[in-house]
Amino acid sequence: MTLLFLLTPFFAFAHEMTPTYPKWQLSYLDGLLVTEMEMFNKRSDVDYYEIAVFDEKWNPIPFVSSYKVYKVEYLSRVKFEIYIRERDRLRAEYICSKSKLRNEDKTSISSMICSRFK
Amino acid sequence: MLKRAIIVGLVSLGAFSAYAEDVPITGNVQSRCIISVDTPGVYGNPNAYTLTTAAADGGVQPIVRYDVTLADAYYAQITTPTSFAQSPSLSDTVTWTGSTEVSSVSDATGMGSYETNKTTFGQTTQYDLTVSGSTWFKSTSTATYGGNKAFPGGTYTANVEAVCIAK
Repeated sequence: MTLLFLLTPFFAFAHEMTPTYPKWQLSYLDGLLVTEMEMFNKRSDVDYYEIAVFDEKWNPIPFVSSYKVYKVEYLSRVKFEIYIRERDRLRAEYICSKSKLRNEDKTSISSMICSRFK
Repeated sequence: MLKRAIIVGLVSLGAFSAYAEDVPITGNVQSRCIISVDTPGVYGNPNAYTLTTAAADGGVQPIVRYDVTLADAYYAQITTPTSFAQSPSLSDTVTWTGSTEVSSVSDATGMGSYETNKTTFGQTTQYDLTVSGSTWFKSTSTATYGGNKAFPGGTYTANVEAVCIAK
């Protein structure tokens, strides 16, 4: 029981995105590739996560998804698909999700996790 | 009678062994990086023109924890603030300084070199997470108001950015 209380604070505010190394696949839409990602929100202080696709030099790459900002309830998972143009396949290097902090009267830590195409 | 019972028993055992099958257990170990907010920071106000998270000046250092399940697969980048997320209207410039250091590790042997091997560019500190496990990083952020003027009264908040990038 003591261990549980010790561990609880560490897992109370966590952000997770998988897979670490996604792969592009052909989509049913002509000229577009798709990959599926999953986010898990263990941050009770965050409700929304913004996603983006970048090249090697962190320039944004156009992509399509259901939303650019996903609502992820506390302790819930969200799976989402990202589509890019086939011609951007070799440019796309990172998919990132970034926490959207509420404008509260306290200092906080924003978290961003980036998966990479190899 | 006894002989017959033994034969029946042996046949039964044989039957069981004939139908025994291995039950496969499969698993997929997926690498992942988890960023956890261990301690949100608090600015202390040691004098009228300085806000700092340094513990010696009444602040609380923000602590962020990285959990990685695969060795040598991620970089941790932690950036201390360069602006306030919330503050009263400020008419003069604010000078920002910040630093990040390893606070604690789950594997002292493997992660002992993290601090010496870190790279710093601007307000950002990057660590190469070469070992799987947990690492806690703590940051110090200091804001000094221009010309040593007093900060106007009000609430000041700023955000540390913790990034985990797959290699």
